[in-house]
Amino acid sequence: MKRLVRTTTGNRPALAAALVLTLVAGGFAAWQGQSWYAAAHDGSAAYAAQRDRALAAGQQAVQNLNTLDHRRVDQGLDLWESSTTGELHKELVEGRQQFAGQVKEARTVTTARVLSGAVTELDDRAGRARMLVALRITVTTSDAKSTDKDSRMLGELTRVDGQWKLSGLGQAPVGGTASGG
Amino acid sequence: MSTTRHHLNRQRRRQALAEPSARRAPGNVLTDPATDPMTGTDTGTEAGPAPEEKAETGPARKKKPAPGARRTGGAQDGPRPRRLLPLAVLCVLTLLLGGFAGWAHSRAGALRDDPARANTALTDLARTSEVKGRTAAAVAALFSYDHADPAAFEKAGKTHLTGKAVEQHRTLFGGVLAQAARQKMVITTTVTDSAVERIDGDRARVLVYADQSSVSTAGAKKDAKKDGQAQDQGVYAGAMFAVDVVLRDGRWLVENIDTFGR
Repeated sequence: MKRLVRTTTGNRPALAAALVLTLVAGGFAAWQGQSWYAAAHDGSAAYAAQRDRALAAGQQAVQNLNTLDHRRVDQGLDLWESSTTGELHKELVEGRQQFAGQVKEARTVTTARVLSGAVTELDDRAGRARMLVALRITVTTSDAKSTDKDSRMLGELTRVDGQWKLSGLGQAPVGGTASGG
Repeated sequence: MSTTRHHLNRQRRRQALAEPSARRAPGNVLTDPATDPMTGTDTGTEAGPAPEEKAETGPARKKKPAPGARRTGGAQDGPRPRRLLPLAVLCVLTLLLGGFAGWAHSRAGALRDDPARANTALTDLARTSEVKGRTAAAVAALFSYDHADPAAFEKAGKTHLTGKAVEQHRTLFGGVLAQAARQKMVITTTVTDSAVERIDGDRARVLVYADQSSVSTAGAKKDAKKDGQAQDQGVYAGAMFAVDVVLRDGRWLVENIDTFGR
């Protein structure tokens, strides 16, 4: 009898301790699980990811559209078309023949390097964004002379089937808004 | 031997009956030692039967611990597992829950450490527009010069710059200042576009497109500001650069001016 009592009372603290440990573990699990869920379903994180995707795609597209080798015009122009959508894409397709001829005649090689870029507006739902891309364009003519030109690009992006593409591209106007001294 | 023992027992029983119950009680309590005072001389004879008695009570004694042993032994078969099962379940549960907690923690940490998340440009709209506004104001002040009020230029440098940007600003304006003072120039810089590349806590990087107009007002400094005639001699230039700003004591200070190697 004594031994039986001892076994039950001897078991009870262990059981209680185990229960406490389990509850503590359960608490931690709930806490961390909730924090993981919150991190995974954070809207701002998804928005940030979309911003970075738009920026990366936009920078690449702007660089593509400022890169053209007269020896591989068709290849270059194909890349232009695949980087764009909407109105800009339409313009490029329509002006392709004429432009290809000009480049072949001028025998220029144009390369571009993105110096910096940032998204200014992003509508995640509509899939539209605006961005600034600071670009350095190097034009090498047939006589191997190259000139650098910095370009202040303003780009418009549209998301098509989950892919960000350039739907508008232009240069920031100089002196347009400044009112002078 | 057994006869003497039975005889002795009978004697003992008789004595016990003869004796008052008061004496019986202790006799009962001290069953074994009671024999000693009762049969002082019998101890010698009892020394013989004692082992037999032990041998006889042996099974009885063995019987007593036997159920105990069976119980303890049985506890390993029956009640013990029943008692150990919850303990085992709790242990397994603890391990599983602990494991999940650790895993969830690492997953959440990985998500939080995502560089895209650390950059709060655009995701924190209030801060983004604050950084943009502060940077535009700082750039306008830093890159504008009015020969009539050179103190303002000096003041702008002191209030908006920090670290290596002080030297960068001096280098950028070094050649211009002497000329500007001589030609009584008014240089006005306006930020036309800007975009926040990244905000990481109290640090940010902003890409700036700015228009710079320089107007020489030599000879007509008062009119130059009032009417636009002097603008005919003005020169417009578009500039692009990036600035790193840092939040110090509630104010965003320009820490670095990146002119992209120009």
